[in-house]
Amino acid sequence: MGAYVLNRVLQLIPVLWLISVIVFAVMHILPGDPAALMLAGAEGGAVTPQRLDELREEMGLNDPLLVQYGRFLGNALIGDLGTSVRFRTEVTGLVLERFPSTLELAISGLFVALLIGVPLGMIAAVRQNTWVDATAMSISYVGASMPIYFLGLVLILLFAFNLRWLPAAGSEGWDSLILPAVTLGFVSAGLISRLVRSSLIEVLGEDYIRTSRAKGLVERIVLSRHALRNALIPVITIVGLQFGNMLAGAVVTETVFSRPGLGRLTVNAILSKDYPLVQGCVLFLATAYLLVNLMVDIAYAWLDPRIRYGK
Amino acid sequence: MTPPATTEAGEINADAGGTPRWIRRYVKNKGAVFGAVMLGGWILVALFAPWIMPHDPYETLGMARQPPSDMFWFGTDLLGRDLFSRVLLGSRVSLQVGLISVALGAVPGVLMGLFAGYFGGTIDTLISRFVDAMLAFPSILLALIIIASLGPSLQNVMIAVGIGTIPQYARLVRGSVLSVKSLTYVEAARVVGNRPMRIMFRHVLANAYAPVVVLSTLQVGNAILVGSGLSFLGLGAQPPIPEWGLMSAEGRDVLRRAWWISTFPGIAILSVVVACNLVGDGLRSALDPRMRVDG
Repeated sequence: MGAYVLNRVLQLIPVLWLISVIVFAVMHILPGDPAALMLAGAEGGAVTPQRLDELREEMGLNDPLLVQYGRFLGNALIGDLGTSVRFRTEVTGLVLERFPSTLELAISGLFVALLIGVPLGMIAAVRQNTWVDATAMSISYVGASMPIYFLGLVLILLFAFNLRWLPAAGSEGWDSLILPAVTLGFVSAGLISRLVRSSLIEVLGEDYIRTSRAKGLVERIVLSRHALRNALIPVITIVGLQFGNMLAGAVVTETVFSRPGLGRLTVNAILSKDYPLVQGCVLFLATAYLLVNLMVDIAYAWLDPRIRYGK
Repeated sequence: MTPPATTEAGEINADAGGTPRWIRRYVKNKGAVFGAVMLGGWILVALFAPWIMPHDPYETLGMARQPPSDMFWFGTDLLGRDLFSRVLLGSRVSLQVGLISVALGAVPGVLMGLFAGYFGGTIDTLISRFVDAMLAFPSILLALIIIASLGPSLQNVMIAVGIGTIPQYARLVRGSVLSVKSLTYVEAARVVGNRPMRIMFRHVLANAYAPVVVLSTLQVGNAILVGSGLSFLGLGAQPPIPEWGLMSAEGRDVLRRAWWISTFPGIAILSVVVACNLVGDGLRSALDPRMRVDG
């Protein structure tokens, strides 16, 4: 197990490096002058050539690309992601300040996704090819095809404006988290329920299930103790991938519900052309996503020993 | 009827005489037929939108925020424009986003997969490493930085969403190529003296096209979804384009008093994406039952 973990951690290093290259390359090689964009965004209108050149020098944009990249990587490694143009403060501070709110949203979204997705898939599998199955799968289908902002707006309309049960916006109190979490979780619930269904159907056809039924176990025990336990293993891998969806969805969800998170910070940074902030946010989110997937992989290997020895 | 073909992907071309087997399998699937009808309906709407729109979608016609009525079926928006006409015209924008983004991702992705799989060696290693790195990166983040450097617009959304789908195509095609590369008929094509390019495109790619079609159909729905989300955030289509995500965003602040402004465009998106997904899944099980991936 120790060797497996070490191996996975080591594998992470080149991927992280490549991601820093991609982020840097996209931001610096694609057309568009960061300094000009920043001046236009920050100081509005009149951009003098001198001011532009000063800023280019200040930002190190006149140096060769490789030197720029080296500086970017070196600073990022010690946690320095540069200075935001709009907020005039350290990007790292801004990111860390907003991250807990996004993490809270992503975790509760994942919780909702599992809370809806797993039972939905189970019911569909147990009642395979009946109207129950068809209904459950239709719900999951709609969930997976739903624009996240639209679901958010519908939920606000229903539960905040008409029924007045929950707040429509903000981030104070636990009740303000419910609608965003459901919005975010529902899409993934669709995918998870389909996976649980097919995985459980496969497991239910296994010999050991027939054996446990044959020896007279109650169906409930067969399901909970033998079938579900094995059926849920593949679900764990998708949970890590779903965390990426959660981050993506958080960008939209935070805007719909006016939550001050990292997603909204990123979008506002793009809209206000705050280059260093965009770069920092994306790098941070990508790293968070990789680390979550690393943890999921380790959990998976721990649950399923075949993985550890497979490779 | 000739006996059913047993080759891997050759089934599509099986009994060329009658209705192809995959079509017969497809029409047995109720969901897939429903999806095809719905998607067909939207394509017709997109094609004929200018002629079936009851009003000018760009012109202020009456009071702003009028609820749905006989005159304005979906009501009017913030500027008093007819929402129904705007939703109809919006189908053009969305289908365009779906098709162009997918083309932008599929063409380079398929080529990369083809070269990696066919030539192997260093080319394969380089392409595969690149693909792995892209897959390790949530595609929305890639889309966000691309838009950050190109600037928010509908065109840049298509580029950003398209680039994000490249690795999936590359990986898919590489796999298919590897599975047929050493088969006898490819060997034969080489022995007869065909050039590598011709073998790749005429013989090897022909066997990978079914999964590419399936992936593309599903990707059209996904691209529409992601694209409209980006427009909702203000990073894509700019006013006065009747883009569904942007229209939903325009109605967001008046949701309490004018629910219809956000709701109808939202329903439109949902129905197009459901249709694409139903068709994609239907094709997947019709073209190759073993290709079924649940989840």
